[in-house]
Amino acid sequence: MANAKKSHALPEGGQWPDAIAFWATLAGTVLTTIGFLMAFFFAGPVNGAAVDGLPEMIGGQMVSSKLLLSQKIFYFHMPVAIVSFGALAFAGYYSIRFLMTKNQRYDTCAKVAMEISLVFVICTMITGDLWTRFEWGVWWTWDPRLTTYLILMLIIIAYFVLRNFIDEPERRSIYSAVVSIIALVDVPICLMITRMIPSSIHPVVLREGGMTGDMGMTVGVCMIGMILLGFGLYRLRFRQVRLAQRVQALKDELEEN
Amino acid sequence: MNPVLAEIYSTIIPSAPYIIAAYALMWAALLIYVFMIVRGLKKTEAQMSILEEQVAELRAQNK
Amino acid sequence: MSVVLKTPSTFQQYKTLLRKDLEQEFRTKEMLTSMGIYALLVLVVFGAALGQTTQALDLLQVSGGLLWTLIVFTSLLGLNRSFNHEKEQGCLEGILLVPLDRSVIFLAKATSNILFLLAVEVITVPLFYFFFLTAVTPGESFWLLVLPLLVGTIGMAGIGTLLSTITVNTRGKDVMLAVLFVPIIFPLLFACASATTAIIVGADGALDVFYPALLLAAGYDVIMLLLSWVLYDFVISA
Repeated sequence: MANAKKSHALPEGGQWPDAIAFWATLAGTVLTTIGFLMAFFFAGPVNGAAVDGLPEMIGGQMVSSKLLLSQKIFYFHMPVAIVSFGALAFAGYYSIRFLMTKNQRYDTCAKVAMEISLVFVICTMITGDLWTRFEWGVWWTWDPRLTTYLILMLIIIAYFVLRNFIDEPERRSIYSAVVSIIALVDVPICLMITRMIPSSIHPVVLREGGMTGDMGMTVGVCMIGMILLGFGLYRLRFRQVRLAQRVQALKDELEEN
Repeated sequence: MNPVLAEIYSTIIPSAPYIIAAYALMWAALLIYVFMIVRGLKKTEAQMSILEEQVAELRAQNK
Repeated sequence: MSVVLKTPSTFQQYKTLLRKDLEQEFRTKEMLTSMGIYALLVLVVFGAALGQTTQALDLLQVSGGLLWTLIVFTSLLGLNRSFNHEKEQGCLEGILLVPLDRSVIFLAKATSNILFLLAVEVITVPLFYFFFLTAVTPGESFWLLVLPLLVGTIGMAGIGTLLSTITVNTRGKDVMLAVLFVPIIFPLLFACASATTAIIVGADGALDVFYPALLLAAGYDVIMLLLSWVLYDFVISA
């Protein structure tokens, strides 16, 4: 069994990540819930435009500008976006591994990671778009950040369309691996675009003076929760897909005999 | 209500539906994905029972 | 008598492959005519779209974008065709049997695509000027237009070659190429369109927009061409 060690290294359902996947999902759910509550009850309100007239006393605090409730979307918007980038990076990593080894298992990993990425991209789009609708008064605007992110979403969708359009499994996995590696190029562009093009109206937290401690804590809790949730979802989906593949393989073998 | 206070709070009420919608839709998207996974599992279970039938048939033939 | 076997150098292989594409094109003139006519038709459609507006519409502001729309659609058509007849006549299998470095095929194919696209642009850009820009006065450094055109064409042909090799083996290849090509090309398209618009409008400080945008496009070109070059081996062997 020369290959025993090698085949053991292959990702498979029921390996050690699955042992922590359940707890990760649970912790992710709890943390995102805590983060949700923190966003509304712990993190301080963010001040918007100044109000004419004297500062008012509200709840023992002097307030002189409008309070922005819409900013609460940010606490989930950013973590979700980060997870989508991370999942895409993993998809790219598995695609490279696939091209190196030509082992179908890595293709399955890449596909599942891509699915997770799509789910989180859609979440980012939803949260971002509703914020845009309220703050900017439009459903869509061709801001550089929004545009590059839309492009990222379109490439991910194209990845799945491509998979559906090819019948031979080997060819499908090679082509989709190539596309997912190309999609990875858009990630740094998307991350850097608000810095590169200063006319972008998408808020950059660091540029606008950073966050206060309570806000940072809330974002951190949401971020850890979302990462754990993404990991849990990935393992769950991976296990299910692998199970389906194994049953299919067994069925094929049985029919052959 | 104090007019200044009213202005301070002026953006909170109109923005609430969007915030609620954002969180709700995000929640829904994640839930739909979990639902898809569960559906895939159910399909696999169905395949599994077909497989079991086939195995039973084969065993009956071999007897 | 002894037989001397000489392996052709990589450059010779590249030249032969390129000449094959060009000769085939000169014989049939299939691709150039179809792309040229298609570009003309797109121009006519633009005419219908813009004919509804009054003269007051600032043509200068939109013409950069329109020009790139024209180029993207024309190159989509050309890229679709470029691998179709390789596939139809079993030419690709023949090339793959030859023991040569696969990336040479990429370079040759990308070069021929660049040449075809440039040939079409040489005809369509003056036509575009004739139809849309004679009524207005474009900026003084209008001739700088060739730079974004060149950079954009190289990038589009490079990525397009990789993508059309992928899509030629899929069902519904025309649609699939568009679905992959347009989003992946988008950053390049965006940078090129903004550079072109800056030049055509020719406002003060246009060059401050022009060169960064051009640099961005060139950077994207380099990354994408290198990536396509590396990945092409996997794609064509599949």
